[in-house]
Amino acid sequence: MNARLQSIIDDARKAWTAERAGGRAKITVTLDTSSIARGAEQTIAAIKEVAAKKSLDIDIGITGSWGLCWAEPTLTVRTAAGTRTVLYANVTADRVEELLEKTVVEGGDLPSLAVGVVEGNATAAIPLLSEHPFMQGQVRRLMANLGTTDPENIDHYLAHGGYEGLGRAFEMGAEAIVKEVLDSGLGGRAGGGFPAGRKWDFLRTATAEPRYLVCNADEGDPGAWVNRVLMEGDPQLIVEGMLIAALAANARWGYIYLRYEYPLAVRRMQLAVDQARQKGLLGENILGTGKDFDLIVFKGAGAYVCGEETGLINSIDGYRGMPRIKPPFPAQAGLWNKPTNVNNVESYANAPLIMRQGSAWWSSVSDAKEKGTKMFTFSGAVKQACCVELPFGPKVRDVLMQYAGGPASDRPMKGFQPGGPLSGVVSADRLDLTLTLDPYRELGLFLGGGGIVFFDESACTVDLCRYFLSFAEDESCGRCTTCRGGTQRAVEVLRRIQSGGGHDGDFERLEGLVRWLVYSNCFHGQFAMTTVKTALKQFRSEWIEHIEEKRCRARVCPGLVAYQVRAQGDPKLAEAKEICPTGAIIEANGKYEIEDAPCIRCGACREVAPSAIELRDLVMAPVAAR
Amino acid sequence: MGAEPTVQELRNLVAEFEPGRGHLLPALHRVQETYGYISREAIEVVAGQLDTTPALVYGCVTFYADFRTHRPPQTEIAWCSGPACRLAGGERIREALEHTLELPLGGHSEDDRYGLHLGQCVGTCHESPQVWVNGEVRGRLTAADAIRLAREVKAAE
Repeated sequence: MNARLQSIIDDARKAWTAERAGGRAKITVTLDTSSIARGAEQTIAAIKEVAAKKSLDIDIGITGSWGLCWAEPTLTVRTAAGTRTVLYANVTADRVEELLEKTVVEGGDLPSLAVGVVEGNATAAIPLLSEHPFMQGQVRRLMANLGTTDPENIDHYLAHGGYEGLGRAFEMGAEAIVKEVLDSGLGGRAGGGFPAGRKWDFLRTATAEPRYLVCNADEGDPGAWVNRVLMEGDPQLIVEGMLIAALAANARWGYIYLRYEYPLAVRRMQLAVDQARQKGLLGENILGTGKDFDLIVFKGAGAYVCGEETGLINSIDGYRGMPRIKPPFPAQAGLWNKPTNVNNVESYANAPLIMRQGSAWWSSVSDAKEKGTKMFTFSGAVKQACCVELPFGPKVRDVLMQYAGGPASDRPMKGFQPGGPLSGVVSADRLDLTLTLDPYRELGLFLGGGGIVFFDESACTVDLCRYFLSFAEDESCGRCTTCRGGTQRAVEVLRRIQSGGGHDGDFERLEGLVRWLVYSNCFHGQFAMTTVKTALKQFRSEWIEHIEEKRCRARVCPGLVAYQVRAQGDPKLAEAKEICPTGAIIEANGKYEIEDAPCIRCGACREVAPSAIELRDLVMAPVAAR
Repeated sequence: MGAEPTVQELRNLVAEFEPGRGHLLPALHRVQETYGYISREAIEVVAGQLDTTPALVYGCVTFYADFRTHRPPQTEIAWCSGPACRLAGGERIREALEHTLELPLGGHSEDDRYGLHLGQCVGTCHESPQVWVNGEVRGRLTAADAIRLAREVKAAE
């Protein structure tokens, strides 16, 4: 190990041990975008207030996500002796006083909010966290520090094995690093699964200088937040991963292209880079080894197509983020036409683990063909929107029940989207598919970056298709007519079907678009129709109902449903009339009626007067023959 | 965010950025973070600083959803367009907001007191369906809640 690195690590470990031995209780609050949305900042303020009021001598720290996004704010309480740590959930500001009273003051637990015991013994009321159903089956490697370390403090990372992988990488040299990463079987984590080691080798053997690394942190798939959890929770893992890749590929500069919608991740990544530079881990002559490498955190500006690697490169270069025509590939001509390697956040973040523990350890986590672990987020019609880290291979049904808490309501599940708006839809009769790459490819869709969205029978297939196609249309860069015009045409047809105008030839029209859009230049156009393609196959009868019978079984499509008053005399009707934003509810002599033309189907009236107003199928009057 | 900047102020603001080094987006972010939006003058100044044309800069400003060419409203309701929100009734909330505020997504009132913005999913899906009011999450909304919120925003001075 590099002596300077060893001394930096030793110092950090000493500081960590000293802090734990300080004899003060410690409250560590998960502070990330999910917890902030549920009031974590107010919780921290309440902890400070209560501590001051009761003169409690405690430390207050922050950390990343446990993955229990639906149950934020979460926090751990460690006893003053440092021997017992318990994880609590749903600790909103109003519950802080009781929690501190029971734990810090009385020295006990608060079972009503407890999730599990992190350190110490389980009790009758609180199980060990490792035995909690949410943790069973998870292998938290990338997420190992989340819940423990402060993402804004590099010393915490260094005290938990951080930069040991870099130390080993320095000893190994470029070719051996590439070989180790190839041996591990690490595949690209954005859905492609292309071996990371091969990509690094392309860059290593490129001839032009300088070489660039790019981290694609433009996590644009709506419903995916795995990269955010990692960047907000353990940003140094990405810095170290890019450093290792830089050694492997002899790169001089690295860019972390991060979407602007993640301001906290931007701030923490920037802080991580600054702190690494202060320690001499980035910059010129890193740790006295003669290696130069530096990182730039580059803020995106809101364009989904910049998630395509050449669109991203154009965006950094200072142009509209329009994907380029390949070849040349980025490894030959990327940023400023110099050799460039683009990988996903998670792909880089695995490198420190592979270097630290070796490829054999890393790849032995499961028998699946896809090696290592993968982070997933589950959302939609589920009880628990959450983030987990799993080996590849579990069944979708099992993760839905175990981690996402099962369906949100009694309604049957209808299907799920395996990874982003271009990935397609899978019907619920295939919930036994595993979380691996092949089964989706065989069905003509793909497992994407990790954001899995479930939907139940309250969702309409045609509406979902229109939603995803509208997204693809909005986000098309406009270069290819196939994509620009094709997505536009698809949205027109879908809108018409939704408003009751479906007619002969619509299947052929949509299927034609499915065939033609694959001739687009980039991934965006090529996969824009995947949802329609897969939905037409798997939910055929629902399309026939829409197009031929003008009926939407989920009662979602605005042109096929209508609101009507079911029970005159209901006292809530006056309120319903008042809430209607378009004045569609008319009252005359105490009788209420909903006019169809101005009604926008927002459903607010039914929300305030559920027993008086109903949603019905809008039966089309037959057109009289002339 | 205050008075209109002078050309000299804009020049000083972006003086550190250089041509050919990937500085266009950082320069535009700097302008927007300082003044809230990117004016026509700012586009010309940035183009001059980076040795390129106003047309190229304008092309970028309009390509990326984050950049604004109009000052932000005092109160902005950003509607989450994500899938979890959609499945929980987000489309009905959009209809309700648009009709109550009498604005399309991306629109703002004539006096810039309020506006409606298309927000992208950031993975706070446990709060679906949601909107952000000046950046703060308002989650688990009904369409009726959204209408009340929009009426409040519209009526506020």
